[in-house]
Amino acid sequence: MEDNSVKSTDDVKITPSCSYCEDQAVFYEPIRKRHFCKAHLIENIETRVYSTITESKQIQSGETVAVALSGGKDSTALLVILSRLLPKLQGTRLVAITIDEGIAGYRTETMRAAENLTNQLHILHKTVTFRDLVGKDLDELLIGREKQACTLCGVLRKKAIADAAKTSGATVIATGHNLDDEAQSVLMNALRGDLPRLIRNTGTNQSSSFLPRVKPLSSITEKEIAVYLFVQGLFTHLPECPYAEYALRADVRSMLATLETQYPGTMQNLAESKRKIEQYCSGTKVMGSLQFCRECGDPCSGEICQVCRIRHNLGI
Amino acid sequence: MKVILSDKSVCNKEISPETVAKLLIELGINPIEVMVVKNGKLVPEQTEIGSCDEIQIIRIAHGG
Repeated sequence: MEDNSVKSTDDVKITPSCSYCEDQAVFYEPIRKRHFCKAHLIENIETRVYSTITESKQIQSGETVAVALSGGKDSTALLVILSRLLPKLQGTRLVAITIDEGIAGYRTETMRAAENLTNQLHILHKTVTFRDLVGKDLDELLIGREKQACTLCGVLRKKAIADAAKTSGATVIATGHNLDDEAQSVLMNALRGDLPRLIRNTGTNQSSSFLPRVKPLSSITEKEIAVYLFVQGLFTHLPECPYAEYALRADVRSMLATLETQYPGTMQNLAESKRKIEQYCSGTKVMGSLQFCRECGDPCSGEICQVCRIRHNLGI
Repeated sequence: MKVILSDKSVCNKEISPETVAKLLIELGINPIEVMVVKNGKLVPEQTEIGSCDEIQIIRIAHGG
C-alpha cells in the first residue's frame, strides 16, 4: 500500500501537490488540469461512480447485482467500489460471477485473484466454465479461428453470465467497462457501420426477457482505475488475454491512446457522442423486433440466437 | 538514474531528463498506458527526477 504519511522536504519540492490539499499527488488529470493525492483520488472516483449509478438509476434499493468478475483490474475495482457504495442503497445484494473460458496460461491467475477478492470482501462467488456451457474450452474452439476469438468468446461469455445471474436471482448485471472501453466501442461500431450496436443501450430494461446490463465505471478512465487499485495495494500484475492481439480493438485502442494524449478529452467526447446519438435516435426503429430462438428459446433478434449459430458453425 | 521498464529490464541513464513526462517521451511510452513509481512512490508525470532516482514503469494491462 502507498504510504503518504511521511514526506521529506525534498519530496515536497519536486512532486506536485494535490489540487485539494497539501499531500503529494499520485495522479494528474489532464482535462481539468488537476492533481490528486491518494485520498482525494479515491473519493473522486467513488463519488463519480455513485453518481453514474444513481443518476441513471442503474442500481436501485433492494436489487441483487450480479458483478461480472474476471479477476482483472476493471472488474476488481468495480466489485471493491460497489461493496463500499451499495450499503447506501438499502437492501442491495452483491453476487460475483466469474467465467472460466478455458484459456491456458491466462485464466489461472485471474481466477485465483477473483477467488481471493470475493473471500476478502465476503461476497458470494459463482464460477461457470465454457466447458459447462458448450462442452469445450475456448482454446479448443478457436483452433484455426483465432481471429474470431473476441466475437465468439464475447457471445458465449455474455450467455454464461446471463444464465448464472438469473439462477442467482440477480435483477441487474454490472460489468467493469471503463471510459476507454466505451470510447473504443463507439469508434469500432462506427468503423463497422453498425448503427444498431452504436445506439444500443443495454442498461434499460426494455424487455422482461433480458436482465439490464449496466456499466458503473463508464466515466472512469483505465488509468484512473489502475491508480485507484495501486494506491490501495490492490493492483496486481496479471497477464493480458493472449487472443487480444487479433482483435480490431487492439488497433483502435492504440490509436485512441495516442489521440487522447495529444488531445485530452477525446475519449470522453466519443462516449458523450454515443449518448447524444442515442437521444437523437430515441423512438427510432433501428433494430428488428424481439424474437425467440427456434432452437433454445432465448430472446434474440433473428430466428436463431448467436449462441446457437456458433454451436452450428463449430459443430458443437 | 536507474529505470526499470515494464518487462523488468533495467536501463541506466547517465543524463536524466527533468521530469517523468520527458523520460516517457524519450522512451517512446504513452503516459496514459503506464504508471510511474519513483523511489517506491507512485508519482504523476510532472514530477521532477534526478540522476540518483530509481524509476519503475508499470504497464497497465488492458482488459479485465
